[in-house]
Amino acid sequence: MEEPKQIQVIRIGAEAIVSRLRWNGFDLVSKHRVPKPYRVPELDRWIRDRRTIREAKIIVELKKAGVPAPAIILLDRSSSTIYMQYIKGVELKKALDRLDPMKVVEIAGRLGEIVGRMHLRKIVHGDLTTSNVILDEAGRIYLIDFGLSSVTDDVEEFAVDIHLLDRSLESAHHKLRERFMRNFLLGYSKIVGRERALEVLGKVKEIRMRGRYVKRGG
Amino acid sequence: MAEERLVLGIESTAHTLGFGIASTTGKILANVNYVYKPKEGGIHPREAAQHHSLHAARGVIEVFRKAGIDPKRIDGVAFSAGPGMGPCLRVGATLARALALKLGKPLLAVNHGIAHIEIGRLVTGAEDPVVLYIAGGNTLITAYLDGRYRIFGETLDIAAGNCLDAFGIEAGIGPMPNPEIRAREGRELHPLPYKVKGMDVSFSGLLTAALKLLKKGVRVEDVCLSITETVYSMLTETLERALAFTEKGEILLVGGLARSIRLRQMIEAMAKLHDAKVYVVPPEYAGDNGAMIAWTGALQLLSGQTIKVEESKVRPKFRIDEVEVRWRSLSRSK
Repeated sequence: MEEPKQIQVIRIGAEAIVSRLRWNGFDLVSKHRVPKPYRVPELDRWIRDRRTIREAKIIVELKKAGVPAPAIILLDRSSSTIYMQYIKGVELKKALDRLDPMKVVEIAGRLGEIVGRMHLRKIVHGDLTTSNVILDEAGRIYLIDFGLSSVTDDVEEFAVDIHLLDRSLESAHHKLRERFMRNFLLGYSKIVGRERALEVLGKVKEIRMRGRYVKRGG
Repeated sequence: MAEERLVLGIESTAHTLGFGIASTTGKILANVNYVYKPKEGGIHPREAAQHHSLHAARGVIEVFRKAGIDPKRIDGVAFSAGPGMGPCLRVGATLARALALKLGKPLLAVNHGIAHIEIGRLVTGAEDPVVLYIAGGNTLITAYLDGRYRIFGETLDIAAGNCLDAFGIEAGIGPMPNPEIRAREGRELHPLPYKVKGMDVSFSGLLTAALKLLKKGVRVEDVCLSITETVYSMLTETLERALAFTEKGEILLVGGLARSIRLRQMIEAMAKLHDAKVYVVPPEYAGDNGAMIAWTGALQLLSGQTIKVEESKVRPKFRIDEVEVRWRSLSRSK
């Protein structure tokens, strides 16, 4: 079996480096959690290991719940690296402005259903923005980057997901925002139920009022 | 240049009763502080308030004597309006109202957290930093954006200082800096809950787990090492995220825990990765003090942010992002 070959660095974040690789004829993405020189080595290794495993577990849970996300191919604990499926597509953020309005409505509804299924499994994304939704060539959507995801029962955390999504539309696509969110919420409540959706929505409004999450994220 | 005006500041949010006199040009003329030390355990709000009442009159006389000025020369009276303990806050507020009325000068209600930041900027020369404000009662990461100090991260439960102090007291070695000093003899690191959520942190589970290790008979030095390394790593990591997110080039450490040598080391190592400059408030202004209230009061006087006596309620849960930071858009103080 050959070694994966790095083709391109996709993103350098505060925590990890994401690259595109070629391996045995497949296109892969690797997410490598880099060591932090300021932490003592044993603590550093432990933290990176735990987070790598948690992220992989969450992705597996999501796949079971029918949430489209890149499949995990390999997990290398020794280097805190997850290798996953490469999805050929574009960030929703970049695609939104040139999409047909009917298509936008449809995508918003589907994204609402996907996020609803994730929340039903008690998983929050933690950084749900239009940059973390990929639209592939066949028009399918996928969620990516679960580095800040967690398992929770707290309504507020579900509300933060929706708030972050709304805010990312507000800053980059303010004309689409209202229509998008309305259809997103239709899809969302179809999955989690009307009552639950209203409860989460109430929390979203509360967060907005507090101004607490202004300019927050990633 | 504008005429220099002087402000008296009174601090009384927790264990410190402080008096300071600062000028609108950034000079600290006097800084006099009285610290209540509980005989055992943590702060008892009523006892602390009693301590403050007892030292109030003497403090006023002393601060004017040290500054070498007559009380009539003052152009404003500032007090710490919160956040803090109600009974303690009321001592400072009552005193400030009385002095403002007696001298016929405007009253200035200062946010205690903002005062830590502003004195830090003044004495270190940091201009537009990401701030880590860490003290017994506060842990937050903030930076100036669109007219306010926005909170990017904070503790979801207890403060970092509170966590380490409570641990030290329970372990019988005393509050900070004792846990950090004993950690230097630590040999083995034990994993403790490391709870970072985005830019927020949580310490209460970590404190419980550290105390459990002690009960199991783990060497106290090893637990000290584990708890300090974990707490500081969490703070440094969230600070790193905030730095990357805000794209600022400076870091400023303020509050009592800014005295920590190990935390400073870690933050400096992190800052190097991002070519950021680290500023640390000097020990004299790290803990609660009167000078920081006087200086922030002076900034508020410059931007016209005074308050009427009848509206000058204390605010135990005063958040720093509730304050309009008008003085930073004035030309001389960015």
